[in-house]
Amino acid sequence: MSITLAGMIAITAAVTAILMVGSRQLSMNLVLYSVQTLLVAGLTIVIGIQHQESNLFLIALAVASIKAIGIPRAFLWIVKAIQVRSDPGTILPAPLAMHFGIVLMGASSLLTSGLPVPQGTAKISLEATAALSLLLTGILLMLTRRVALSQILGFLTIENGIYLFALTQTSGMPLIVEMGILLDVLVAVMIAGLLLFRIKSSFEHIDVTQLTGLKD
Amino acid sequence: METLALTSAIPLLLALLSISPCKLTLIKSVVPSALWIHFCLIAWLCWPVITETIPEIRISQGLALSHLGALFLLLTIFVAASALTHAKFFFDKEESRTAAPAPRHVAIFYACSNLFLLAMCWVFFCDNLGYLWIAIEATTLTSAPLVYFGRTRHALEATWKYLIICSVGIAFALLGTVFIFASSQHGAIAGGSLVISELIHNGSQLQYSLMRLGFIFCLLGYGTKAGLFPLHSWLPDAHAEAPAPASALLSGSLLNCALFGIWRVNEIMVSTRHNLISHDLIVWLGTITVLAASIFLVRQHGFKRLWAYSSIENVGIMLVAIGLGSGALFFLQALNHSIAKVSLFLLSGNIVQSTGSKSLGEIRGVIKFAPVWGLLLALSAFAVTGAPPFGAFLSEWLILTSAADAANWAVVITLILGLTLSFVAVSNHLVKVLFGNPKPSYAYFQPILTSLLPACLVACSLVLGFTTGYEVFKAVQ
Repeated sequence: MSITLAGMIAITAAVTAILMVGSRQLSMNLVLYSVQTLLVAGLTIVIGIQHQESNLFLIALAVASIKAIGIPRAFLWIVKAIQVRSDPGTILPAPLAMHFGIVLMGASSLLTSGLPVPQGTAKISLEATAALSLLLTGILLMLTRRVALSQILGFLTIENGIYLFALTQTSGMPLIVEMGILLDVLVAVMIAGLLLFRIKSSFEHIDVTQLTGLKD
Repeated sequence: METLALTSAIPLLLALLSISPCKLTLIKSVVPSALWIHFCLIAWLCWPVITETIPEIRISQGLALSHLGALFLLLTIFVAASALTHAKFFFDKEESRTAAPAPRHVAIFYACSNLFLLAMCWVFFCDNLGYLWIAIEATTLTSAPLVYFGRTRHALEATWKYLIICSVGIAFALLGTVFIFASSQHGAIAGGSLVISELIHNGSQLQYSLMRLGFIFCLLGYGTKAGLFPLHSWLPDAHAEAPAPASALLSGSLLNCALFGIWRVNEIMVSTRHNLISHDLIVWLGTITVLAASIFLVRQHGFKRLWAYSSIENVGIMLVAIGLGSGALFFLQALNHSIAKVSLFLLSGNIVQSTGSKSLGEIRGVIKFAPVWGLLLALSAFAVTGAPPFGAFLSEWLILTSAADAANWAVVITLILGLTLSFVAVSNHLVKVLFGNPKPSYAYFQPILTSLLPACLVACSLVLGFTTGYEVFKAVQ
């Protein structure tokens, strides 16, 4: 398998997601998320140059400024304000969860080999594996963490995986759709951030596994 | 174009009015009256589509209003206008309590419900899977502040779960959308397309395995939003913690939007002519949802949670109608459910305000301390569970006969079992709530205004039961 530049960047992004599962420090997680999204934005530019699509540069700029810089910065500020530094995790301890993430990357390689090959390419690429791996790692992060902020990061990682899949396996979603999705994600994260503050002030913790007041 | 512009303009202006420094009393009466005018205007604009004089209103590439879409659009505006008309009486009572909500919170409620209405209306205009996803995610975002209205710990927990579960669920629908987009790039449409009418037109050339993956992810994603079992866990929490008018909006219109998304994706799936799995899959998911919801109904302790589970049951029935491929039945069931359920949630809001409790064990003797509410509550509950002569009986009966026509006996039997169980469970809970001796702490208030809207809705449901029969039989055959 010849490794392309795009494939390298995509796999590096997937690896940062696995590192996120291994790290319990929230600020470290945020930095890793930022790096991951910057890599995704960089990949968008690489593909934009290859296919000579000017729309992709615009999307890359929006992704980098909103998702890679804006959101992590806002959350770093929130982490400082609410003084929750680390996530103790549930079910799996962090190192074990990280190794499980590596297994998931292998599984995504197997899963994507079953997908039909997009037109114009010879075989299913490394990018598809990376995209699916990001998605699965995001789910893993949501399942193995107990702090509300990690749940948001898990959601954002899932979203990065889907974006990467759309970018590399299709000829690129229409610009207006991409921008609409980005806007929705931004608003969702803003509302979630506001709720984080409220949860901290009324429950005095942001542990979602303890949110069990409502049941049948 | 003017249809879309007008549909968007009025809710947007009302949302702006709500956050402007206007007096709250003004907002409370202007918003409902404007929404009823809005309803009439949109009905007039959509009339050619509804009577099928023209097949659809096409606005641009990716934006169109179909016959079914127009019907749902009108239903959504009707539900919003009803719920926000009643909201005036609801908030008047809330403000007379000792722990009154801050006026700013009520203003935010009005602003968000109008934005919520706007997002829901857009869902029906979308002829593009990407726009559809954006609109449905926007409905989650604009309704989250409605659920949080109470600002209690429970409301906070319900809002958090609603936001996270629905957003992650919808993320899978986005993945499904990407898969469907990819499936159109294997020779069907040059460069691929997300436009639903184009995809349907080229259905047989879509790459089938990608399309199937996309369909399943979209079904699960939008299904999470619709409260499909076992992805429904956010629904009872959000419906029970939201204030009554918001619960009515969520149950009466939001669930329809998510189901409409499933309907659109199913239309594409059917056009591939490989529709072996999609029909059975949707019908069975719907049937299991009905049965599971009816079991949850039996052991319920929350008054509003009861109606939330009843909504899940109705979502199951609507899914069966979608799986049977009948848009007419889908709409009829949605119409009957929405009307009766809005009435139920509004009445429950009144009763919860009077008794000060949301627990089924705490509410007793409604028929004694508020006979009108008690009577209307019983009638609405019968309408929702599909008892004759209400409209829902007709639609459920037709769905059952259609399933029987398809020789799907296992589905028919499971559905009948679920419907019977839920009827018995709801009646059982209702008897306990209605009869017995009311507690002296109950505070009864304004019987006429607070029962006005539920009474109208119950009357609508009755009229639907008596009049739609012939046309519906004709439409279904």
